[in-house]
Order: sequence, then structure tokens, then C-alpha cells
Amino acid sequence: MKIIKLGQIVFGFIFTAILAISPAWSTPEETPHPGFAWQNGAEIYAKICAYCHEAQVGPPIRNRELPPAYIRAIVRNGKRAMPAFRSSEIDDESLVKLVDFISKKETEH
Amino acid sequence: MTSQYIALPKGVAEQTFDAAISSFRNVLGDAAVLTSAEQLAPYIKTMMPVPDANHMPSAALLATTVEQIQKIVAICNQHKVPIWTISTGKNLGYGSAAPAERGQVVLDLKRMNRILEVDKDLAYALVEPGVTYQQLYDYINEHKLGLWLSMPAPTAIAGPVGNTLDRGVGYTPYGEHFLFACGMEVVLANGEVLRTGMGSMPNSNTWQVFKWGYGPYLDGIFTQSNYGIVTKFGFWLMPAPPAFKPFVIQYQHEEDIVEIVETIRPLRINGIIPNAVVIAHALYEAPVIARRSDYVSGPGSISDEAVRKITKDHKLGIWNVYAALYGTQEQIDVNWQIVTQAFGRSGKAKILTEQEMGDDPAFNYRAKLMRGDMTLTEFSLYNWRGGGGSMWFAPVSQARGSETLKQMALTKQILAKYGLDYSGEFIVGMRDMHHIVDVLYDKTDPEQTKAAYQCFDELLTVFSAQGYGTYRVNTAFMDKVAETYGPVQRNVHKTLKHALDPNGILAPGKSGIR
Repeated sequence: MKIIKLGQIVFGFIFTAILAISPAWSTPEETPHPGFAWQNGAEIYAKICAYCHEAQVGPPIRNRELPPAYIRAIVRNGKRAMPAFRSSEIDDESLVKLVDFISKKETEH
Repeated sequence: MTSQYIALPKGVAEQTFDAAISSFRNVLGDAAVLTSAEQLAPYIKTMMPVPDANHMPSAALLATTVEQIQKIVAICNQHKVPIWTISTGKNLGYGSAAPAERGQVVLDLKRMNRILEVDKDLAYALVEPGVTYQQLYDYINEHKLGLWLSMPAPTAIAGPVGNTLDRGVGYTPYGEHFLFACGMEVVLANGEVLRTGMGSMPNSNTWQVFKWGYGPYLDGIFTQSNYGIVTKFGFWLMPAPPAFKPFVIQYQHEEDIVEIVETIRPLRINGIIPNAVVIAHALYEAPVIARRSDYVSGPGSISDEAVRKITKDHKLGIWNVYAALYGTQEQIDVNWQIVTQAFGRSGKAKILTEQEMGDDPAFNYRAKLMRGDMTLTEFSLYNWRGGGGSMWFAPVSQARGSETLKQMALTKQILAKYGLDYSGEFIVGMRDMHHIVDVLYDKTDPEQTKAAYQCFDELLTVFSAQGYGTYRVNTAFMDKVAETYGPVQRNVHKTLKHALDPNGILAPGKSGIR
């Protein structure tokens, strides 16, 4: 049986070992982990923004040199039908990258 | 004295709340405890026709582990502070990321987002609450697992845990999501960790393959409820079929829904059409390709004449039946013959496939949903009225033609009374239909917002009086819907709540349960 696990193999062993030695109904010991992390602004744009802003659902936002502060405010507060995005979804550091990606012209990337 | 918080939980003094926040910070660190107006702004925006202040959180906690959650519930019990748990927080039109009641602390599990296991052979996944469909979709593709997801229309930004726990639906053969759930891990209000079904047995490897375990089946009580915090969730995935044939069948009169439903029901019950078929009204599809302002000016709902013009201009049916066949090409060929014969009998249906529809944007996004691909095109609905107002009205109907026609006519009549349009569809189960209507309004217009609230209230009142129950509702109307199911069920829910969460710290008000 092929079982695919995400993350480091080390984690996989630890997790399996915990299940093997402790009752499954008791509290599992877990180490805080970094979880999913965005790679760059282009990835966030492609996997969130583009589904609307490149599909004639929302207005185009690239190559318009929108002010970074404006983009940040819309992402965090939403606007009309556009949902707000929390720091748990797009962390502050990633938002900086996203804003940079959107606000600069494609030729500047 | 001015409070340092934008809201406080009901009945909790600021000093007590200070102590709770301080303890939360000890567990999570300062950066994962949000209390400022700026940090909490994304939790406040909803699409409901009520003041955002009604659903303003006091704080948000970004937990990533079971241990942290156990410590959080201990602090909540100590200080009687209520928490409202979200996963991806994209339950748009049902309350988004905002809590049910002002002042509740949002427990935001978006960062608890590990894909723990995907088994290619047994076709299941075990994930944490913050995993999005996009994340899982990418993982499956990256590892070439040959498995398909079923997801609701907000695909990329939503996730399987939140959607299934709210008993949401998708559009593939696995579209009734809770039917395909298998095993949960739940942090209870007393801090104990329950693994449901086979997960309760030490060393069992059948947690994600056998749903029932031994004794009363518990998974159901953790859906649409506030009896625990689900921290791991197992569900089944569909093996990618060798062939896939999406199609649309158009009809030109609203009354034709009787024929549509009577034709589809045996095809669904007998498994000829395996997926959750959608019967979409023209006004559900029109926003993808048309603008309301091109057909209507002034207040009031759109006229039938204008709707007919839209269908002619954009080659839509008044009803558009989206379905698909899955399997080997040979299986599809046999079933296609049965489908075309059934729908061809009356001469009213226009049957169209990818060949005829080409790049039609409405057909394409429906085809994507039926094969579990990413698209947010359904959000075009929000452009119909503009202004960001939306509530899903979701009564359940029998899969019987006369019933669907009755529900459609009743909904349309009540919406028109308040100047709103019927943007509806029926998602076909086997014997039931989820009648899904997006009550769209301009939230920037106070009069329309007030009308939308009254309209939704009347829809619930009239439908329940006729015995039509709502399967899911936004956080502003949960008590009203709970009332429609009668006192005995409410008492049972309450009894369970008091037994499992005596201090009432977990999402008070969810589904009207306190």
C-alpha cells in the first residue's frame, strides 16, 4: 500500500511512532510546525486573486500601478463583494510580496 | 473608560477578558493573539444584511496544534469566554469568518493546515482544518495520485473540513460531502481528544476506511454543531475516471422543471447519472456572461420578459441542467444513449456537449466543478446586483417535479415582493434536492439591505409553514431556523450541549444551540 505523507520523513516517523506507542484516544503530543507557506507573490496571485481578477469576475488589477497601501487595505478589509483575507491566510510577509507583485508592471518583475 | 478591545464577550468583564487574553498569549505567543481593530478587520466583513457590529469579534487566536487548542479551551472554561471556531473562514453568504454573536473570540485554524495523509490505493485523505481545496489539489497533482476532489463553488479558497462540517455540497459523484466523511479527531470542551469511529481503537489502521466503529455513530453530532473542535478530518476521494463527459440540457420554460425532475430522478437513483446534477435557472448563469444593467433599469425585480431576452441573447435556457458521465468510454457511450433517449422524448430539451459549447464560460466553469477543478467563476453572481450583499436561502425539496415548481414559484413571488431577483438552482441528490437561492442585494443601499433582511425572514417563515425545512443558514438567522424544527429537537440539542460543554464556551448560538 502506497501511503504518501507530506513534510519531512522525520515527521512521518515521529507521527507514526506516537500512534504506535500511545493510546489513540489520548492527547497526541505534537510539535508546532510551520505548516503551509506561500513561496512568492506570483503564487498567491495565481492561486487566489487570478481566479476572479483574470476571469472577468473582478476587475483587472495588474499593470495598473495601484498604490501598495490601497492593495493592502483591500486585501485585509475586502470591498463590496470581494472577501477580506486574514493574516492567517496571507501572512503579513507574504502580503508584502503580493502587493509588490500586483503593484509593479509585468516588465518590472 | 474606553475599552482596549473592539468588543467584549457577552457577560464578561474587561478585567476578566484581560486575564484570558494574557493566558492565550502565554500559550500562543503575542503574534498569534489578535486584538486590534486593524488585525480583526478581515474577521468583520460579512455579506449579511445586518450591522457588522452585531458579529464583531473581541479577539482572534491563531492556533496550530491540538495541544494549544486543549489549553485554549481550559482558559475559556476558567474565564467563561466563548470561542467561535473557523477553518478557512470562507463560508461566504453564510457568515464568512465572523462569529455568531458579538464579542466571541474567533479560534482561527487556518494555519493548522497539514495534509497528514493521502492514500492512493484506498483513495482517502486525512487533513487538518486549515487545508484548502487548492492546497490538496496541488498536492494530489504534484504526487500524481490520480484522485479527484469534490468541492463547493468557492473551491480554491475554501476547504474540505469547514465545508463538510457545515454539510456543504459539491458537484461530482462525491458531491454530498458528509456521506464521504470518514473519521474525525475532536477536541472536546473538557480538553479530551476524541477520535471517532475506528480511530478510538489503539493501533487501528481503519480510521479512514470504515465510518461506523462500534456503538452510536458520533460524527454527525460534530457537524453544524458546537459540541467540539474538529482538528483532524478524514474523507474519501474519487479515483479519476478514464473518461468524463460533461453536458448541459436546456429548457425554455419555467414549468419545464417538472419534466426535468421527473426525467432526472430515475437516472440519478439508478446511477446512470452519478454526480450531483444542477438545474440552474437562467439568472443563476446569466451573471457569468451578462450584466443586469443592460436589461433592467430602476428598482424592482427583473421581469420575465427581460429574462427571456437574456436567454436569447446569450444562448441560455430558462433552465440549464448540468450533469456529467464518468467511467470508461464504453460505459459512457451506453449511459449517454440512455440519457439522450430519456431527455429526447418530449422534444423540449436541447442537449449540448463540450463539442457544441466550446469556450462558453458558463459551461466551462460548470464542467470544472463537475471534475473537481479550481474555479471561482460562480462569484460572478455577486456582480449581478453589486454592493456585496448575499445570503443563501437553502430549503430542501423532494426530487419530484411538482414540488420543485411549487418551491420555485413561491421563492420567486416572495423575492419579487421585495424587489429582488430569483437566482436559484436545484442541486439534485438521489431523492432530495437542495434548492439553493442566492438572495443578492446591494449592501451599500440601506433600503435594499432592509428589504433583503425582511425578504429572507419571510422566505423562512413561509417555507417552514408549508413544511419545507432549510438545511443550512447564515449566522443571523440560525435561531429562527432552529425554531422551525420544533421544541423536541431543540431540547435534545440543548441537552447534548450541556452535557458536553457545561460552561457553553464552544460557539454558542451555532445552529441555535446554547
